[in-house]
Amino acid sequence: MGLVRHAASILLLQGQGLLPFLDGLSTNHVAGPCTTVFTNRAAKIIDVCEVIPVGEHVAVVGHEANKEALKAHLSQRILGQPITITDISDLNDVFIDTGDSQIPPDATVHVSFFGRVFVVPVKHNWQPTWTIDQWNEHRIAKLIPYHGYEITGVHHPLACGLGELVHPQKGCYIGQEVLARMRSRGKQGHRLVVGPNPVEKPTTPGKEHSLSIVRVQ
Amino acid sequence: MDCGTCDSATPLEVHRPDEVNVELTLTEKATTMLEDAFGDDRSHALLVGVLSGGCSGYMYDLQIVESTETPCQELNINGFRVLVPSASSHLLNGIEIDYVDRLMGGGFKINNPNASTACGCGESFS
Repeated sequence: MGLVRHAASILLLQGQGLLPFLDGLSTNHVAGPCTTVFTNRAAKIIDVCEVIPVGEHVAVVGHEANKEALKAHLSQRILGQPITITDISDLNDVFIDTGDSQIPPDATVHVSFFGRVFVVPVKHNWQPTWTIDQWNEHRIAKLIPYHGYEITGVHHPLACGLGELVHPQKGCYIGQEVLARMRSRGKQGHRLVVGPNPVEKPTTPGKEHSLSIVRVQ
Repeated sequence: MDCGTCDSATPLEVHRPDEVNVELTLTEKATTMLEDAFGDDRSHALLVGVLSGGCSGYMYDLQIVESTETPCQELNINGFRVLVPSASSHLLNGIEIDYVDRLMGGGFKINNPNASTACGCGESFS
């Protein structure tokens, strides 16, 4: 087991009503630390984020490639609410721990869908122990989707194996009608699977097995 | 985690659209229902706001309030004080507040020319 670097963005939200604000815009029930998905009206993924309360503030840890889209998505819905967003991505390194790695100094530890997440100040120059290839083999074995591979703007959360991040009883949020309809009708279109090589159109190719998103009836 | 709150990290500049002078209308039915709700006491106001959330990203928020700390434009429509938060003015300019009288899904309805989409229940728009 090891520690892999997560190419993360970190947005720090400060102000009042932060958790309800995030709850109203994402798929999971956000009342404390959790992983949740921000989706557009077609239920396609904008970003999958760790919600980490930090004192009175809340850190939203997403993927670096989605940062601008997430910033735009959140900021245009603040309206008159007393909420500010600060980009603290450059101040921290983020790692995903797949086992029992040593907790880095000053790390914020968060239990995520992906594993344990460590947010570490950059001054510690903490280093990963795993390569991306090792991380990918681990993901294939555990059927874990990841940013840029399965988690993209092309798919909705149910298609790429994030169903447990879509709260079944939650009220309205952007994309909810689409996801609720898929669930109630039992038709989600695609789903994440693992299979022995060769796999047609793998999303994460592995040495012996690969992940792919396949069409289902 | 280094949250940057004690050194150089500065908040992002949140995009805040320009405030516009809001014009809105109340239908005859909505006016009648408000007359029932307010009675002769016109010291209170109808607050017409927008919250984030809902199926389409924004939700209407109607309240009867005495006052609010939120910066608002104050209008006088058909004898009623109507408050519109300045931060939401760009989303509410030109709306028509109607009242739909039916057993299911009835109540105040907002017809909004700024909304490109709305969810089925009519409370959420984008």
